[in-house]
Amino acid sequence: MKVLSVELRKEKKTGVIPLMFAVGILGAAYALINFIVRKDTLLNLPLAPMDVLLTQVYGMIMILNMFSVIVASCIIYNMEFKGGAVKKMYMLPMSVPAMYFGKFLILTVMLLIAISLQHLALVKIGITDLPQGTFELETLLSFAGYSFTTSMPVLAFMIFVSSRFENMWIPLGIGVAGFLSGMALAASNIKWLCVHPFVVMLKPAVAMTAQPDMAIVIIALVETAVLLIAGLWTTKNLRYE
Amino acid sequence: MNNYIIKTEQLTKKYKSFVAVNNVSLHIRKGSIYGFLGPNGAGKSTTMKILLGLTAPTKGSFEIDGKQFPDDRLSILKGVGSFIESPSFYANLTGRENLDIIRRILGLPKNVVEDALELVGLSEFGNRLAKKYSLGMKQRLGLAGALLGRPPILILDEPTNGLDPSGIHEIRNLIKSLPDLYDCTILISSHMLSEIELMADDIGILNHGRLLFEGSLDRLRQNAMQSGFTADNLEDMFLTMVDNDNASRKQRAIL
Repeated sequence: MKVLSVELRKEKKTGVIPLMFAVGILGAAYALINFIVRKDTLLNLPLAPMDVLLTQVYGMIMILNMFSVIVASCIIYNMEFKGGAVKKMYMLPMSVPAMYFGKFLILTVMLLIAISLQHLALVKIGITDLPQGTFELETLLSFAGYSFTTSMPVLAFMIFVSSRFENMWIPLGIGVAGFLSGMALAASNIKWLCVHPFVVMLKPAVAMTAQPDMAIVIIALVETAVLLIAGLWTTKNLRYE
Repeated sequence: MNNYIIKTEQLTKKYKSFVAVNNVSLHIRKGSIYGFLGPNGAGKSTTMKILLGLTAPTKGSFEIDGKQFPDDRLSILKGVGSFIESPSFYANLTGRENLDIIRRILGLPKNVVEDALELVGLSEFGNRLAKKYSLGMKQRLGLAGALLGRPPILILDEPTNGLDPSGIHEIRNLIKSLPDLYDCTILISSHMLSEIELMADDIGILNHGRLLFEGSLDRLRQNAMQSGFTADNLEDMFLTMVDNDNASRKQRAIL
């Protein structure tokens, strides 16, 4: 708890927390406006109404989430490197891996809040705009969980990369390259491409159904765990010199 | 007899073929100010980093208050205030907020932040963003971070770098007064003997990673006189010591 409260204080004036809130609100606004403007076009697609609701606006929302995670991870570690503060952290009686985990936890919670805000907008659309009796809250909650789980490998990867480079432009560049290569590979059915965390995050966006793919969920959970453990191990063993 | 709060045994740090610290055995008495002297690149900062667990020694061992890294890392760091190389701070936070972060990690009461700001003369600038501080103010902030909670051991690496003459005088007097103020031990490095001479009880002279001299300032003065220098001209003695060592290194390299 102490580590988490210290980490939250460090975030002050970095813009990480407002950024994640803003992405949640922006994503929600995008979904609402999209359904106001394109409601008839969307509902006339040859898809079930719940699939339309969850898959047709998710692409843009996912890109917003992905870039917010990339930028927030870069900022969250850049503040440690900018004034050499991380050096001081290694000289204090605290666990540096715990600091890493605190940052991971803060970003995870903020992403969860952003995704919740976006799905609240989808609930509103589902109730007011979908044909009577077609809205299924259970399907929406399951898709929300799916999009959150598939976003976690990118979050774990970006924090790991950001913690290893003092120059913020390197993780930022890696994030952008990850997005572009992920876009190119996401539509492929070759499962081993899912070792690429960005491909995993893009999978729900290229699917035409709102039903979670359990294989992707398992891959996402394993990747998140592996990347988190790798990050904790490196902060403990490859210390500042 | 064995009243050393910091003791190193044959401490060595190698980076590939470069030896940064070469068999250094330091003996720092409890309650003393130990001046760690040497030209730039002598290995002072590396030795201090080893003592703080920032880098692991290639060979040798050390004890701080009877404790050893890595088993007693947290316990050692709780009792050591440190300032290494350049000030470390969160640029997005004010000076006061920076110290508050350290205070929370150390689990100290709120009033210690004001105490530390007061000690280094930063009280009136406490609410300014650390990134807007001048170099001297950043240096003071780093020192305040080390002094927070008045730890029993202070490891200070060239703490007067970047300060103006009056700032140097002020910080020097502060450091000098600390052992009497709250019974602490200070290891302070500098590349200027004139600086160390005014503060330290004992000194260690390092050159190219090797400890050339360790002892009290009085012993250094005696050595100076025996070598034909005047007791009030230790700077020359120091420079000659370093030059001789450099010459013998060159000789060894040729052979």
